[in-house]
Amino acid sequence: MRSPLPPPPPRFRAPLRAGPSAARWRWGGGGMQRAVGSLPLGPALRARLAAAGFQTAQELLDTGPCGLSREIGISKEEALEALQVVRQECSGDAARTAGGAGTTRKCTALELLEEEQAQGFIITFCSALDNILGGGVQLTKITEVCGAPGVGKTQLCMQLAVDVQIPECFGGVCGEAVFIDTEGSFMVDRVVDIAAACVQHCRLIAEAHQEEDHQKALETFSLESILSHIYYFRCRDYIELLAQVYLLPDFLSEHSKVRLVVIDGIAFPFRHDFEDLSLRTRLLNGLAQQLIIIANDHKSAVVLTNQMTTRIGQSQSTLVPALGESWGHAATVRLIFHWDKSQRLATLYKSPSQKESTIPYTITPHGFRDVQPPAVTQNTESTEMNPRKRPRREEEK
Amino acid sequence: MVVLRAGLCPGLTEEMIQVLRANSVRTVVDFVSSDLEDVSQKCSLSYKALVAVRRVLLAQFSAFPANGADLYEELKSSTAILPTGSPSLDQLLDSGLYTGEVTELMGAPGSGKTQVCLSIAASVSLGLKQHVLFLDSTGGFTASRLYQMLQAQAEDEEEQAVGDTALSQLEALQRIQVARVFDVYEMLSALQEVRDRLSQQAVSCTGPLKTVVIDSVSAVIHPLLGGRQSEGLAIMMQLARELKMLAKEFSLAVVPTGMQVELDIGNSDVQEPSPATPTEGL
Repeated sequence: MRSPLPPPPPRFRAPLRAGPSAARWRWGGGGMQRAVGSLPLGPALRARLAAAGFQTAQELLDTGPCGLSREIGISKEEALEALQVVRQECSGDAARTAGGAGTTRKCTALELLEEEQAQGFIITFCSALDNILGGGVQLTKITEVCGAPGVGKTQLCMQLAVDVQIPECFGGVCGEAVFIDTEGSFMVDRVVDIAAACVQHCRLIAEAHQEEDHQKALETFSLESILSHIYYFRCRDYIELLAQVYLLPDFLSEHSKVRLVVIDGIAFPFRHDFEDLSLRTRLLNGLAQQLIIIANDHKSAVVLTNQMTTRIGQSQSTLVPALGESWGHAATVRLIFHWDKSQRLATLYKSPSQKESTIPYTITPHGFRDVQPPAVTQNTESTEMNPRKRPRREEEK
Repeated sequence: MVVLRAGLCPGLTEEMIQVLRANSVRTVVDFVSSDLEDVSQKCSLSYKALVAVRRVLLAQFSAFPANGADLYEELKSSTAILPTGSPSLDQLLDSGLYTGEVTELMGAPGSGKTQVCLSIAASVSLGLKQHVLFLDSTGGFTASRLYQMLQAQAEDEEEQAVGDTALSQLEALQRIQVARVFDVYEMLSALQEVRDRLSQQAVSCTGPLKTVVIDSVSAVIHPLLGGRQSEGLAIMMQLARELKMLAKEFSLAVVPTGMQVELDIGNSDVQEPSPATPTEGL
């Protein structure tokens, strides 16, 4: 495997060899040539390995546990553990290089396109919002909803928790929902109202279309089943929230039908009573990565709600989403809800595939809805009048 | 600082290494920089053998000086300039992305970094018919948006008018490989895998790879930075080194994206942007 050693060269070489000319002693051969610094070992261990002169994983494996423990002065058990980690990493690398799939999430863009086109969206029952989102809340992405208090973020979350359960024949994804509540704003009776309206809506569609699978789906799509498929967790502080998110993958592998994870109030536990800001940034970024892994591995949508804070500028102050700019990179899609006199507006602020736009929406007793009823409609919800003419205090939440 | 091991070169046996180690000559650097007469006396090894071993070690491990003119010629022949898909950006970058260099995109959230990355992938894959590796760590890669860009770019180019433009777009999509890495160690594994594939020069599904786009690097590094541990900085530098070595050794254009963190200093209105990205300090 090793090429024969070159003879001692003359003092100056001309011309240079193109290609991998540097570090010639790193012959190819799987992940064995991985630098020690890139292996997932603890920092103290890594520092000792560097001081002892180990540079590649191959050297570590060649030395063996006894030699390793002698060289760097750690116990044999620790050396054995470290070598196991190294071996795992390198065998994973070798498997991937050889063409095996392993656990890597790798595919061509064409395959991803096909996957995306087959994927469903979670509709919000507000067709304008669905349009600007490109069909609805996307699976495998993190959507963040920011807004001032009272603008309707929790309403949207509750609506989505119901909408994710709509059977596929009615255009839904037929999944279950996990609702993580940090603010205590989840009202079950409100969810009952929303769910009842949703079931009614589907029933009307079924009556209009009169198809077999519609009837069958309606049998399982009832108020009780909707409520029983929303898994509710209450987290009181940031430690509980972090623990819940880190335990979520286990929960999701048991409940594989979950297609939506809602965290209502991700800002709340991190904003009050937090002294160390750099720790907060670290925790938030770790949380973001964990959430994107969950979204990706379990093919579910993650919806977060965030609060607004005031950024005081030179001459004026503006409302911006809370938790800082570094958090702004965490969400893939960002929606900002705000008021315009008495009209609620939703702005798509950040999206990888849709352009920025603003639409009006409203909250009715039946849930999250459009301002005007949609053009092709089968519902007879006459309460959905144009609320622009109605003063604010008459709107019921 | 490579540890001396038996078999590193002919003539370096296990007994020699044990004896040398007993006299605190443990690494190649120690061996090469020590006084061989002294060592041969202390370790009772033959001076000739030690000199031979030193020659071989020097040949193996030292870097060679190169002629400036030769370097320039090599650079001219091995560097390619890749279009980014946007003519004004190409102009800014002095006609495009250079292979052998790491070009970094930085910006606030929503400023368009993912869009530029998608545009680069589309233009390299469609225009130059070369493979692109896209490492996605934020979940922001949307294949339908990429397809939109490909369609738009295909309409611009008139040479594509002949035959199936749809087929060429699908082929372009197949040339873009997407790997989802959400952890810094996964990213390092993925980069190692690229390097193994390229150094073995295996004609695999990667084909002629010229571009590696990484969106984004700060998403995997940021959870490790801050606090009192400097482990995050060590990993950051390791990743930076990997990217530069990939670019230089295999003549790739590497495009990482990062974000800018604003630091608030006191009560004044001036805010100092401080890039928290891996090429900082290089």
